[in-house]
Amino acid sequence: MKGALELAERAVAAAEGDGVEAVVQAERSGFARFAGSEVHQPTLIENVSLFLRVIRGNRVGTAAGNRVDDEGLRALALRAGEAADAAPEDPDLATLAEASQLPEIEGNDDETAALGPAEQAQLAAAAIEAAGDMPVYGFFTSGTATVAVVTSAGFAGEQTSTDTMALALAATDRVSGYAEQTAWAVRDMDPAAVARQAVELAGRTSNADELAPGSYRAVLGPYAVGEILQYFAFDAFSGLALLEERSYLGGKLGERHFDEKVSIADDALDPRGLPKQFDFEGVPKERVPLVENGVLRGAVWDSVSAARAGDSQRSTGHAAPPALRRWGPLPFALSVAGGEAESVDELIELVGDGIYITRVHYLGVIEPRHGILTGMTRDGTFRIRDGKIAEPLVNLRFTIAVPDMLTEVPGLTRETTLANEAAFYDERFAYGALVPALATARFDVTGNGGPPGI
Amino acid sequence: MRAVCEEAVAAALAGGASYADARGVVRRSQLIATKNRRVDQVDDVESEGIGVRVLVGGAWGFACDRRLDQTGARDAAERATSFAKAAPGTHERALAPVEPVQGAYRTQREQDPIDVPLGDKIALCLAAEEAMQNAAVKVTTAFVRAMRERKVLVSSEGTVVDQDFVECGGGIEATAADGEISQLRSYPSIHGGSSAGAGWEYVLTLGLEREAPRVAEQAAALLRAPICPAATTTVVLDSDQMALQVHESTGHPTELDRVYGTEAAYAGTSFLGPDDLGSLRYGSELMNITADPTTPGGLGTFGYDDEGVPAVRTAIVEAGVLCGFLTSRETAAKLGSGGGGSMRADGWSRMPLVRMTNLHLEPGEGTLDDLLADVDDGVYFETNKSWSIDDKRLNFQFGTQVAWEIKQGKRGRMLRDATYTGVTPVFWGSLDAVGGPETWALYGLTNCGKGQPGQHAHVSHGAAPARFRNVQVGVAPS
Repeated sequence: MKGALELAERAVAAAEGDGVEAVVQAERSGFARFAGSEVHQPTLIENVSLFLRVIRGNRVGTAAGNRVDDEGLRALALRAGEAADAAPEDPDLATLAEASQLPEIEGNDDETAALGPAEQAQLAAAAIEAAGDMPVYGFFTSGTATVAVVTSAGFAGEQTSTDTMALALAATDRVSGYAEQTAWAVRDMDPAAVARQAVELAGRTSNADELAPGSYRAVLGPYAVGEILQYFAFDAFSGLALLEERSYLGGKLGERHFDEKVSIADDALDPRGLPKQFDFEGVPKERVPLVENGVLRGAVWDSVSAARAGDSQRSTGHAAPPALRRWGPLPFALSVAGGEAESVDELIELVGDGIYITRVHYLGVIEPRHGILTGMTRDGTFRIRDGKIAEPLVNLRFTIAVPDMLTEVPGLTRETTLANEAAFYDERFAYGALVPALATARFDVTGNGGPPGI
Repeated sequence: MRAVCEEAVAAALAGGASYADARGVVRRSQLIATKNRRVDQVDDVESEGIGVRVLVGGAWGFACDRRLDQTGARDAAERATSFAKAAPGTHERALAPVEPVQGAYRTQREQDPIDVPLGDKIALCLAAEEAMQNAAVKVTTAFVRAMRERKVLVSSEGTVVDQDFVECGGGIEATAADGEISQLRSYPSIHGGSSAGAGWEYVLTLGLEREAPRVAEQAAALLRAPICPAATTTVVLDSDQMALQVHESTGHPTELDRVYGTEAAYAGTSFLGPDDLGSLRYGSELMNITADPTTPGGLGTFGYDDEGVPAVRTAIVEAGVLCGFLTSRETAAKLGSGGGGSMRADGWSRMPLVRMTNLHLEPGEGTLDDLLADVDDGVYFETNKSWSIDDKRLNFQFGTQVAWEIKQGKRGRMLRDATYTGVTPVFWGSLDAVGGPETWALYGLTNCGKGQPGQHAHVSHGAAPARFRNVQVGVAPS
């Protein structure tokens, strides 16, 4: 969106306070969603939203809206000011972002930004056609999201990001397979290949067997690794969670608790991911080591949690979008270092006897302090026997402590995949985890669900 | 707003649509949260815009625009029709007939929740937090929310509906920690507290400050409680957990779009098939589920859904037998039964989907103590904490914040980290008691996710405590 920075500047100018921060989020996106190989929920969105934070003395108030004319800005400033006046004093008030040197990033592609409804529908059609007779369910989406942050302390920045994603679930009532692809440039996308991959996988899932509950060695594909780690990370690697004693990291920083092959960072600067230049408070992004060779190194912080932590803790540039700000700093660019395995097949051979998991579904955190969560496998679960993929399995319920899963890791693939982790609620904010496939010595299966298929 | 919506519909028809509807929405919402006796969030959000849905050659198109004026309406209509025209394949979509209506609806309220000063809302939260102070409790949180929404729907069939909603709610949470474990206790629910389609008087009836000491004490006590042991046993679920059970294992699977597979790529499908209507044994004879968008105070209460279908109470399960689905006009036409009435969109920027309205477990007889009295050995679960269920809504595992062993008909020791698991029709088949009307309570949650792009729905569930036999508690030994 052109003019986002100017809009944020106008909003700051309209507000009265000792400090003001304005965040503009502009979105132009299209979703060509399909089911049973028919487009059924096509959605085009155009929106601009504006978030205003006003500081008066030690009091803070916020307001948001999407009327961007002068009258709308005045009304917004008035509401934010009233909120500040109504708030009690905050003894740990965070400072606003000042002018800073921003990192150079990629992540904005003109060709992707130019995609319109016709092109989005065509790319969805490519997936549908490639699936042939197998019904497919999924979507093609592309969008442009602009974020502008201006503070009265001197920060003024605007970044425009493009993102695109293709998702395909190929399924009948007896089989199902899944594949996805995410990139910030449409030239890197191949929805037809995504659909073919899902169809191929589905074709191997008929006549699935049940599995006796127990602890198994396992290979997790990148979609499964990404989702499990993202759920774990929201508590484990959040500075606020650390302060509130619900993070797994509490009392363990500097200690080795995972296999030395495991290294995890949050890295929004990596061009292989969905790059971001600064966070929603205007703090520059940086690469934050979270786990290095199995040693727990740290968490991510926003200015509010950093101020509460004291001890010279500073923001690492992880303030969440305004709609999620209450949850504190969040790692939205997880990156797991690849290993030495040249293929998933090599991991399967390493595991020898166990299970292969393509994807997981509906995770629930049972106990964050120990990283215990539950969920189901879905759309491509197989038995591994004699170092090879064997018979398909029904959807399995698992209940795992993620740290246990990472304690002994026989291997990871060298190649990493950008797994989408966004479900596109609220204002568009695409994010994903850059992850390899991972072999683990312990994955606890606790029950059997239904067979593959829909 | 009506004129703007009419402009959109006219533009869509001129662009080749055989059917069009337009929703203009103006929403203001507030969330006030305090944490550890400091203001954590004071959000005051206004959002307005128009969403236009069209059928062109049997294909859907939807587009939205934040400009709630003639230009935004025309642009949205043109983009929606162009998207529908670009849809691949051949299409045949029929809509169940509905009599065009011209109507209005307004949520009953004594005090508009948006009009309550922010200072009063903050003070209420801080007072509740003050009452939660406890040495073992590391984090206390209190929050209230308020929403006002005006929504105008105009369709090309002549429907014009103008609705004025308010919602509000609140809750408290206490997290106790001892360096090794962390335990959460909340009231009245975990899902952002509980909300209702009502005025501010609802928040005052919650009694957050009154309940705060108990919540904090139980959070602290959980640190000393043993882990709930695994067993196959009798369980009694409180009304909050039953609301979650109803939501996940009867609400979602009876959404007819899931039955037809259109949600397969995200939220999932259903173990039910269209042919199961009228014959499938869902649970025991004590299981009676109704969808009721007329329930006073419900978050799913309206005069008309987002297709202009008037609100009607519908039986979903009667005496344990599936007898209804939650439907749209399109899915009802495909089924050849029903007429829609469950289509709801999240604001102006999303396309309506089949959603729960207010879905209730109808009450039975007796008090909670009566339910416990008939248990020699079992577990009583209270207040949801974790939830996970498979894509067909069959295999689930739910956990609660607190549980108590039941011995000889009475509550015994407190237990922590309690979960139970089951398979939906087997679990409901083991239902052998539901509490009476005096134990039935209405819970409103605002975080029901579905759709791509994602949408949050606000839904309510009325439920009473219920008892189930032979349920797997915890993880079975392998």
